[in-house]
Amino acid sequence: MSFPFVFHEILSCKKIILVAVFKRAYAPFHKMQDFTNQPIDLDSLPQYQETPLNKPSSKYWKVIVINIFIFLILIGLGISVLVMSDQDIKAYLYLILSGYIFLALILFIIFRISLNKRGFALRDKDVIYKDGVIAETTTIVPLSRIQHVELNEGIFSRMFGLGTIEIYTAAGSEGKISLAGIEIELAKNIKEALIKRLDYTQAEQ
Amino acid sequence: MISKDFIQPQRQSVAGILITAIHLLRLAVKVIIFPLVLLFIKIKANVFYLMLIIATLFILSVIYAYFYFIKFTFHINASKQEFIVDKGVFNRTHLGIPLEKIQQVNIDQTLVQKIIGVYSVKIDTAGAESKEVSIGAIDEELAYNLKQQLLQNPILHQENIPVQNEDINTSAFIKISPLTLLKTGLTSNYGQSLLLLCGFIYAIVHYIKEVLKAFNNDKGQIEHFMNSSLTLFSISFLIPIVLLILLATNVIRTFIKYFDFEISRHNHSLLISSGLFAKKNTLITPNKVQITTYNQNYFQRKMKLFNLELKQAHGGHDQSDKEKRNANLILPGCSPVEKDDIIKLILSQLPANGKVYKPNFRFLNLPIFFKIIIPLVVYTILYLNTDVVKPFLLAAILYALIGITMLYISYKNHQITVTDEFIIKQSGIWDITHEIITPHKIQTIAAFQYPWHKGLDIGHVNLHTAAGTIHFKFGNYTQIKKLVNWWLFQVESSNQNWM
Repeated sequence: MSFPFVFHEILSCKKIILVAVFKRAYAPFHKMQDFTNQPIDLDSLPQYQETPLNKPSSKYWKVIVINIFIFLILIGLGISVLVMSDQDIKAYLYLILSGYIFLALILFIIFRISLNKRGFALRDKDVIYKDGVIAETTTIVPLSRIQHVELNEGIFSRMFGLGTIEIYTAAGSEGKISLAGIEIELAKNIKEALIKRLDYTQAEQ
Repeated sequence: MISKDFIQPQRQSVAGILITAIHLLRLAVKVIIFPLVLLFIKIKANVFYLMLIIATLFILSVIYAYFYFIKFTFHINASKQEFIVDKGVFNRTHLGIPLEKIQQVNIDQTLVQKIIGVYSVKIDTAGAESKEVSIGAIDEELAYNLKQQLLQNPILHQENIPVQNEDINTSAFIKISPLTLLKTGLTSNYGQSLLLLCGFIYAIVHYIKEVLKAFNNDKGQIEHFMNSSLTLFSISFLIPIVLLILLATNVIRTFIKYFDFEISRHNHSLLISSGLFAKKNTLITPNKVQITTYNQNYFQRKMKLFNLELKQAHGGHDQSDKEKRNANLILPGCSPVEKDDIIKLILSQLPANGKVYKPNFRFLNLPIFFKIIIPLVVYTILYLNTDVVKPFLLAAILYALIGITMLYISYKNHQITVTDEFIIKQSGIWDITHEIITPHKIQTIAAFQYPWHKGLDIGHVNLHTAAGTIHFKFGNYTQIKKLVNWWLFQVESSNQNWM
């Protein structure tokens, strides 16, 4: 018989029988005095929303800018080929040009906002990641649910000594988080710590 | 050669050659039969040659199947606790599956296998490196033996629910009678059957046209026939017929899938078997079920029927429909008592009453805007500028009214109930669904909020599990944050595993 079950039984008994049952059922439990069952105060639980978050490295903005420029150059090349080859399109040159500049501006603004909103924190028992351009999303992965951890270094990230940590769970792509733009030394340490934790929790089970 | 503990690598049943050959032949014939028949009609060749081609194909299939049989071995590596399959004629494949990753072992029998007297064993796994293994032909005794061996994993059974002695029997404790199946067939899956029916009719029309084309006879008879028969009179006649066919397909589908539906208990797991032509056996362990859902529509509520669905982990990759069907077990037409029995078996207790959280009325804003207002605006613009859409004014008004009613019902039904042990999400318009999870099945929690909802304190939360996501939208964000902290505490303070 499991412990809570016995406890429940006692609660439903009358007082006299209670003592008898209590003695019989609890005789083997030496740690009886240690058992407490206080109601949990929901407000005193650790608050995830108050955890101070670490920002990605400031160098990460450079990586983003390089990526945006590459994207813009590719698009620009495509447009110029199109304009050169077709006389009819040439008439709309200014319209296309202003559209192009608008796109560039929007891209820079969106990525800047997204970068400013990003943040992550490692707690004792979970990883917190916050991001979002419009909606502000906070994603929390308990350490005991991590399936595996990856450390990726993109070509430009490597130039600036940065890395991306990807944390996978059994919930697939929806339940995964990736912490981008972390100093490579720190990233390695985080990965190490997470994996150590992983082995520890698995051994425990 | 064949040992019962599967330590030595062993082959399938010899009949497996025939099974593989027939399977290959069917695949080949399916691909080439239509062009072939057309070709033969065009060049007016002798039917004998057609038979000859198929016979040749059959012989080739048998030869390939023989080599496949020779090269296909499986065994259990006891020291590594792995199930190992070696297969492949040209490309050799070596599959090793850790026994603890095995999610489910299915023993199936198709019609061909029934005639030959063998079974197939399919092994579903969970985890990032998900693979599915199937052994095509194996004797009944060996199949059940293998299943037992594969699921006899010491690690898995530690944290099972306490089982009383009388539970350890193999007698069926839930059987679904043909009458219940009839009721279920009449009251569920209208949407699915409608799609199926449309697909079927389209395929038939397409084939008839192809055949007519082949005979150079296609002068648009079908289109003509359709146009001439689509008068108002025939439509009013047609609708009841379509409805009747729909109900009939529904009932037939239900019977084929769920005939002789039985659940029995095997030690710690449930054995579910059903099927009219091909008997499908599925074994599941309760603690691998991630989401327990039941649903009911208006008719079913009157008849006191529930459809239960047990969703298991899908290994974190997008699944095909077939995989989904295999991982998710549907129990059609349970009575309230049976429903409670199964829930108790899976979750070890019935969810108690808890605190109910309902969404804000702004839940309705976006759907009404996109699904009602935009179509209506488009309609109005068309109405003012052309004559084409004028006769459909009544339909447009009906659409708006029914649409708003449906959205309102979906808003009224959207809620979560939180108890100490469970999270229950309710949703739906016609079919009201309840999804039950225990907090320790949660893999990831994501809470989010749009900037324009900050002042209103409205937010959303997604609970990602290994079998899908539970969404709760437009709730009070302060409450949601409190719940998230509470669930995190529950997940992180116990070492209960999710599987």
